[in-house]
Amino acid sequence: MESKISGTDIPIIDDIVFEDLMRDPYPVYKRAQAMGPIVRIEAANLLLVTHFDDILEIEHDPETFSSDNPESNVVKLFGPNLMRKDGEAHKRERKAIEPTMRPGTATRCWGPVLEGIVDEVISAFEKKGEADLFDALAAPISGRALAAVVGFDDVSWQTIAAWSQGMMDGAGNYSGDPKLTARALEVSREIEAAVDRNTRRLLEAPDESLLSSMLQAGLTTKEIYGNTKVAVGGGYNEPRDAILSLIYGLLLNPDQKDKVVADPTLWQPAFEEAVRWISPIGMYPRLLTRDVEIGGHTVPKGTQIGLSVAAANHEEPRFEAPQRYNAFRPKAQHLAFGSGSHFCAGTWVARVMVTRIVAPQVFARLKNLRLKDPDLVTIRGWVFRGPTSLPVVWDV
Amino acid sequence: MTTLTFIQPDGSEKSVAATEGRSLMEIAQGAGVAGIVAECGGSAACATCHVVLPQDVFDRLGPPEEHEEDMLDFADAPREPCSRLSCQVNVTSDMDGMTVRVPAA
Ligand code: HEM
Ligand code: FES
Repeated sequence: MESKISGTDIPIIDDIVFEDLMRDPYPVYKRAQAMGPIVRIEAANLLLVTHFDDILEIEHDPETFSSDNPESNVVKLFGPNLMRKDGEAHKRERKAIEPTMRPGTATRCWGPVLEGIVDEVISAFEKKGEADLFDALAAPISGRALAAVVGFDDVSWQTIAAWSQGMMDGAGNYSGDPKLTARALEVSREIEAAVDRNTRRLLEAPDESLLSSMLQAGLTTKEIYGNTKVAVGGGYNEPRDAILSLIYGLLLNPDQKDKVVADPTLWQPAFEEAVRWISPIGMYPRLLTRDVEIGGHTVPKGTQIGLSVAAANHEEPRFEAPQRYNAFRPKAQHLAFGSGSHFCAGTWVARVMVTRIVAPQVFARLKNLRLKDPDLVTIRGWVFRGPTSLPVVWDV
Repeated sequence: MTTLTFIQPDGSEKSVAATEGRSLMEIAQGAGVAGIVAECGGSAACATCHVVLPQDVFDRLGPPEEHEEDMLDFADAPREPCSRLSCQVNVTSDMDGMTVRVPAA
């Protein structure tokens, strides 16, 4: 594998394998934080920035730390998109999607749609008394919600899930496995075909969906394709994982759960704590446009660095006992939605969906909800991380 | 140079020399004004840069854009008649001596 990493004096963590990161990256982050502002993680072939304040500073300087990387797998496989652009080009496309994503639209327009989806999904398994909430709840809700917000009226949640997986596999395919590349390109074509089909309808009858907003703003077909793919790749897993982490955090802490269930205003802090605790996007990249000094090391132009928001969200003493879920922490900024100009566009849709609809409904309808067996819960991933199985039982 | 005074959420004041053309948010962040978190760096996406302007300045600026209007309803501190997102307001010379309040959540 070709490595662009230089700066040989940068501290290295080279005694772990990739699977260690996938299983639990937090001990690695803690070590990295103690070693300095920038550390090379050999198993991921990446320089990682792990300190909260350093990430904030980097995000203040997008000219030096660019989101644009034409060499990235994402851009090569799926085409240019707003998440990988800077400056005015980014701003124009970001503005185009605002009408879909703003909090008022989330509440007024998406709220009722999401209520309907959540009711149907929970009704389908409510009587069973036992389920894995990954398959039964979080995946279908998140997939159907995304299809609705994007403006796909003919795409199932299973298809959204399969597309998202195909995109992630393609984006993470650093060894160039031709099967994964072929699958990613197939997903890319399928999403474009879905955009084409739904565009015909939305030109006749515009609405507040992402696709319709981009059409109304006059984005080009290429821009619309790219941004729709970003929404599929970045708007399905994250709410799914956040829903599961929130439920898991509360089920591990029944005293907190009782207080939150009794006071609906607490769903908001409980949700923010869930994404701090297990950040659904643990790391995202930036590309250096010039040589930069980081913590006394010169990092050369053209180097890709990873901003580990998951590490920053567990930095001590900023967060006390960071590995514990605690919805009653003092209110403090976290970086789970990123920061700066690429701050997650879907933040408010995710907040409305989880705090006003999904979480209250789950705890109201699944009586005496509890973990089936804490040992059965699995959590996996580092770039994308969340519970992959959450078996629960409740009274019927 | 334009001098601005920020009233922080705890009531204490901070006077700042502001460069015209920059946003109130950038000025406040640069000076470490409490309560201006500005998570989205000025993209009008986070509502963590809420300020309350003097009536005359608010009127002179004209109404905020639809997106900012929407976002203001979701700021932590309740919206007031002269509320704005500080990232959407640029400093001009006629703001010299203005007092900007950062409302407490
Ligand atoms: C809990 C749920 C979510 C989390 C934790 C999350 C996290 C993030 C993060 C960290 C970024 C910044 C990436 C970067 O700077 O490179 C981002 C960007 C983005 N997210 Fe989310 N996201 C969530 C939900 C959603 C949803 C539901 C949607 C769409 C419906 C969405 C759409 C986007 C878009 C379009 C961007 C790119 C924004 C830009 O580049 O200006 N996200 N998200
Ligand atoms: S800085 Fe985020 S809305 Fe102003």
